[in-house]
Amino acid sequence: MSEQMDQVLAEALEAIQSAETPEALGDVRIRFLGKKGSIQALMSAMKDLPKEEKPAFGQQVNALKAEVSEKLEARRKELEAGALQEKMKQDALDITLPGEKLETGTIHPLILIQQELEDLFLGMGYTVAEGPEVEQDYYNFELANIPKDHPARDMQDTFYIDPNTLLRTHTTAMQMRELEKANGQLPIKLICPGKVYRRDDDDATHSHQFMQCEGLVVGEHITLADLKGTLEYMANTMFGAGRSVRFRPSYFPFTEPSVEVDVSCPFCNGKGCSVCKGSGWIEILGAGMVHPHVLEMNGFDPEKCSGFAFGVGLERVAMLKYGIDDIRNFYTNDLRFLKMFDRFD
Amino acid sequence: MRLSYKWLSEYVDLSGITPEVLAEKMTTAGLEVEGIEPAASGTNLVIGEVVSCEDIPDTHLHATVVRTGDGEENLHKIVCGAPNVRTGLKVITALPGAKLPGGTIQARPVRGYDSNGMICALFELGVDRKFLSEAQIAGVEELPEDAPIGETDVFGYLGLDDTILDVSLTPNRADCSAMWNMAKEVGAILNRKVTWPDYAGKSDQGEKGTFKIASTTEKCPLYFGKVVNHVKVGPSPKWMVNYLHAAGMNSINNVVDISNFVMLETGQPLHYYDLAKLPHHEITVVDDVETKITALDGVEFDIQKGDILITTGGEPTGVAGIMGGEESMIDESTQGILIEAAHFDQASIRRTSIRLNLITEAAQRFTKGVEPLSCRKGVDRSIQLLEQYADASGFEATEIAGEEVYEPVTVTETLSHCNALLGTSFTMDQVKDVLTRLNFAPEVEGETITCHIPSYRTDMERDADVDEEIIRLIGFDNLASTLPVMETTVGTLTRPQSLRRTIRTVLTGMNLHEIVSYTLVGEPEIQGAFEPAGEAVALSMPMSEARKYVRTSLIGSVLDVVRYNEAHSNTDAGYFEISKVYSRETEQERLAVVLDGSLMKDVLHKTSIPGDFYAMKGILIALLKKLGYTASRVQVKPNKTDIEHFHPYRSAELWIDKNKLGVFGDLHPDLSAAYDLKNVVYAELTLDPLFAGRTSRVKFEALDRYPSVSRDIAIVVPASTTAQQILDSIRKAGRKLVRSSEVFDVYEGEHVEKGMKSVALRIIYQASDHTLKEEEVAEAHNAILESLRTHLNAQLRA
Repeated sequence: MSEQMDQVLAEALEAIQSAETPEALGDVRIRFLGKKGSIQALMSAMKDLPKEEKPAFGQQVNALKAEVSEKLEARRKELEAGALQEKMKQDALDITLPGEKLETGTIHPLILIQQELEDLFLGMGYTVAEGPEVEQDYYNFELANIPKDHPARDMQDTFYIDPNTLLRTHTTAMQMRELEKANGQLPIKLICPGKVYRRDDDDATHSHQFMQCEGLVVGEHITLADLKGTLEYMANTMFGAGRSVRFRPSYFPFTEPSVEVDVSCPFCNGKGCSVCKGSGWIEILGAGMVHPHVLEMNGFDPEKCSGFAFGVGLERVAMLKYGIDDIRNFYTNDLRFLKMFDRFD
Repeated sequence: MRLSYKWLSEYVDLSGITPEVLAEKMTTAGLEVEGIEPAASGTNLVIGEVVSCEDIPDTHLHATVVRTGDGEENLHKIVCGAPNVRTGLKVITALPGAKLPGGTIQARPVRGYDSNGMICALFELGVDRKFLSEAQIAGVEELPEDAPIGETDVFGYLGLDDTILDVSLTPNRADCSAMWNMAKEVGAILNRKVTWPDYAGKSDQGEKGTFKIASTTEKCPLYFGKVVNHVKVGPSPKWMVNYLHAAGMNSINNVVDISNFVMLETGQPLHYYDLAKLPHHEITVVDDVETKITALDGVEFDIQKGDILITTGGEPTGVAGIMGGEESMIDESTQGILIEAAHFDQASIRRTSIRLNLITEAAQRFTKGVEPLSCRKGVDRSIQLLEQYADASGFEATEIAGEEVYEPVTVTETLSHCNALLGTSFTMDQVKDVLTRLNFAPEVEGETITCHIPSYRTDMERDADVDEEIIRLIGFDNLASTLPVMETTVGTLTRPQSLRRTIRTVLTGMNLHEIVSYTLVGEPEIQGAFEPAGEAVALSMPMSEARKYVRTSLIGSVLDVVRYNEAHSNTDAGYFEISKVYSRETEQERLAVVLDGSLMKDVLHKTSIPGDFYAMKGILIALLKKLGYTASRVQVKPNKTDIEHFHPYRSAELWIDKNKLGVFGDLHPDLSAAYDLKNVVYAELTLDPLFAGRTSRVKFEALDRYPSVSRDIAIVVPASTTAQQILDSIRKAGRKLVRSSEVFDVYEGEHVEKGMKSVALRIIYQASDHTLKEEEVAEAHNAILESLRTHLNAQLRA
C-alpha cells in the first residue's frame, strides 16, 4: 500500500508542478483531492485492511493529503504572483513622457529681493515701514537736511507736482516720517522699502522709476562700527557667506559721516573679474551716521542718542545677483524674463 | 573737476608720489578719482626741422626731409599731407614705432615715396581740438624758430608733460574746486607741506579814485571793485595756457586768462570789465529789474525781478555771478579794467542760472558756495599776476560795497564722543595729528579738542563733521564690525504686509506671474482708468506725454504688459500686480489680475483650464478665503457699475460684507480691440477694505459620524434663472437635512425647449445625530422638488 501512496504523491507533485494556469491547477486539485480523486480512492481502500493497520494507514493518507494541499496552495500563489507580474508589465508607463503641466507662477525679482531683505531684517528685530510715493517736499528734502536751493538737490532730479509736493526721490522720506512719528521715543529700528522716482531718461542703466530699501537704527549707543557689522551681515545673506565690506568716504546731506559701501565681489571672491571691473569690490550702497541736525529737527537729542542709516537700490542688487544687464527688463515684464525667477535662490 | 598733477605740484610736494598713487590716496580719503589721463601722449617723438619739401604731383601730399640732428642717420624722408608744411619749419616728428593715440607709426612707401615717420599736429598727440586754433587743426604744429632740434622730451618742451586726474567732488567739498584748497586737502592726505603763493596785500596799492560801487540788494552783501587804469593785452604765458587747458578752459588773452586762472586758484569767480566801456564810472548791483541783456556770446536773455543784475548808469551790463555783458567785455583794444570780486546769493544764482540755462564756471562756483574771504584773495592774486604778466599799473584803491564779515569758526569735540560715535578707540595723538594736517589748529584741553576751522572749510559746522574728517584720514580700515547693542525689539510684518505676501503665495500657486509696471502714465490711461482713485496727480514738468500723470488705476499699465507679451508670442499666461494708486485726494492699494488665454493647457494629457470668467471667479474666491474671508461673506453681484471696461453680461462685482472690492470679468469687446487682445479676463480690486476687515476665525466642527445620502436631480428652468436662485431654493426647502448641494451640469440646446435650460444638481442629505431614514430623505427631497416647481417653474426631467 505504501508503494501505492508514494506513487500517488509522485504523480500529484508532478501534476502540480506542470499546471501552468489556475484552471489547470483546479483540475489537479479535483484529480487528487476530489471526492473521486486518487487520495479518496486510497481512503476507500482502507476498509479492506486489517483493523490494527487502519490507524497507521489513516495517518499516512492524511499526511499525504496535507502535503498535496500544501503544494497546491504554494503553486496557486506562485501562479497568481506570475499573473500579477504579467498584468503590471502590460500596464507599464513611458516615464519619460512629461508630467501634467502643473506650473507655478513667479514673484517679480524686485519683490523677491525686497522680501529677502525684509526677512533678513525682521530676524534682527527691525520692522518694515511704509509711506506715500506722492510725498511732501518737507519729508523728502527739508527734514532730510536738504533745504530749498541746497546744491544736493541737484544730485536728485525731482518730479515735482507743485512746489510742495513731489514723487519721492528716495525712501529717506519714509525714514523722516518714522523719526517724526517716534516723537523722541527710542529705540527706532526699521527698514523702508519702496518705489522712488527721478528725472532720468530710461536706458540700460537708468530708470525714472526704481526701488530702494533703506534702514534706520537710532538708539543710545549706536556706532559707525555697528553699521559696518550690520551691512556685513546683510551682504553675507544676500550674496553668500564670506563677503566683507569696505567703507569709502562720501557725502549725503542726512548723514555725517557718510560712506559709500563696497562688498567684496561675490563672483570672483575679491580676486578681480569683469563684474567688479578687476577691483575685487562692488559698490552696493550708501550709508552713514544720522546727521545730528536731522536728529534735532525730528526731536531727538544728538548728545543722548545716535543712529545709522543705509540705503540700497533693489535693481542694483537684483542685477548683480542675477547678472541682469538692462534695468528696463524689470519694467517691461516680458513673460520669458519673469519665468526665470521660478525658484528661491 | 579736472585736476592737473603738474599744477598741483606747484603748491604741494608730490615727490615720490605718482599720479596713480595720488589718485588712490585721494579716493580712499573721499575725493574720488574717476579717471587718469595724460595731457598728451605719444612715444618716439623728436623735434626736427623740415630741410626740404617737394609737392608730389597730382596729390595734396609733400615729400619732405626732416632733420632731427647731425649726420645722415638723422635725416628722415617723410610724406606729409598738411598744407602748412614747408622748408625751414620746426616740427614734432614721430619716428617709426611711435605709439600715438591713433595708432602706431610705421615706415612704408606712400605713392612710391619713402615715408619713415609722421609730422604731427597737436590733436594727433591727444590734445583736445577745442583748445586748438583752426590753423592748428588744419595743419601740423608749427614750433617756434628756436625750438631745439633733436629734443626728444617733446612734451616737456611743450609744457604738456602733465597728467590730468578726473576728480568727482561731493557737494560738501566744493572748496576743493579751488586749486589752493585742493592743495591743502592733498597735503593733509599725504601729510606733506603746502605752500600758497605770497599774494596777501598785493591789492593794497593805489589812491582813492572816482569809481563808485553800490549794492541795493541783500543778495550781494559784498562787492570788491578795483580800477586798474593800465594793462597791456596780449598772449598769456605758455604755462598759464597749459594749466587753463588742463582745467578744461580755453585761453583768450592774458587779462581774461588771469581772471579765469585766479578763479581756478582761489575759487572766487571774478569779472574784469573794460574800464573805457563803463563811462559812468559806477556799478550798482540790483535785483528788482525786468529787462533783456545780451551776454558775452551774443545771445539775449530775459531778466526777471529777483535775478541779481550788474548795472552801470542805470543800464544792465551783466547777469551777476553768471555772465558778463557784451558791451563791456575785454578785447585787444582794452587799456584799463575794473576787477569785480563779489559774493552773490547762492540760491538766487542757482535759480537764475538754471532758468537761463547758463551753467557757467562762475555760476557753478557761486551755486556751490564760496568762502567768506575769497573776494580779497581774488583781488590780491589778480593784481599780483596782472603786474607780472599784463604790465598792469595805475591802480586805484579798492572800492568795497558792503562789509567783509568773517567770524572764524571753532568746533569742539571730545575724544570720547568721537570714539563713541565711530565705535573706535583712537588716541588723542592720532586725532590731533589728523586735525593738525587739516590745518584745524587743534587745541587740546583734557578730553576736549577745539578746532579752529580755516575760512575755506565752510562744511565744518559741528562735532560730527570733525569726526568724519578723523575717520576718513585715519582710514576706514581701522573700523571694527559689530552689531548694535540695544533694547530688544520685535520684528513683525504689519497685517497689510503679510496679506500682500499671502496674495503672492496664492496667485503664484495658481500659475500667475507678478509684474511691476510704471507708475507714471499718459492722458489715455487717465481717461481710461477703472474706478479712478480721484482726480489725477499731474507732474508740473513731465519728461514726456506718456509719463505725465500718477496712475489712478492699474488697468492701462497691466493691459500694456499683456499687449507686449502677446506681441512677443508669450501667450497663455496670467499676471497680477499689487500697487498703490493715487489721486489728488487719496491713495489706494490695488490688485489687478489678468488672464490671457489658458491658465493651464496640456494637450498630451488632454487637460486644460481655460482662463475665462469662471477661472477668474475661482481664483478670486479662493484668494479671499486664504485672506480670511469665507464664502459666506463674499458676494458676486451683477456688474452695475462698469460697462465701459467690462462685457456687461460676462462680468460681476465682487463684494465682501458691505464693501465693494471691484469688478472682474471679460474685457469689453471695444477695449479688447483697442489693445489688440482676445479673450482677456481682467479684475481690479481695492485691497484697503481687505486689509481693514476682520478675518473669519477658524473653528473646529465635529466630524460627521453618520452616513450621508445623495440624490441627483435634473430640472428644466427658464434660461434666465440663476444657479444661485436654484441653490437658495433648495437650501430653504430642505431645511436642516441638506448638507450641501451643487450644480454639476448646465445644458441649453437640442432636447431642451428654447428659452429654457436643463440644470443637474447633486444634493447631499445628512444629519449630525442619527442615520437618516429613507422616509426622512424622501420627505425633504419632495419638499425641495415642490419648492423648485412652485418658485422657479422648474420641471423635473426624467
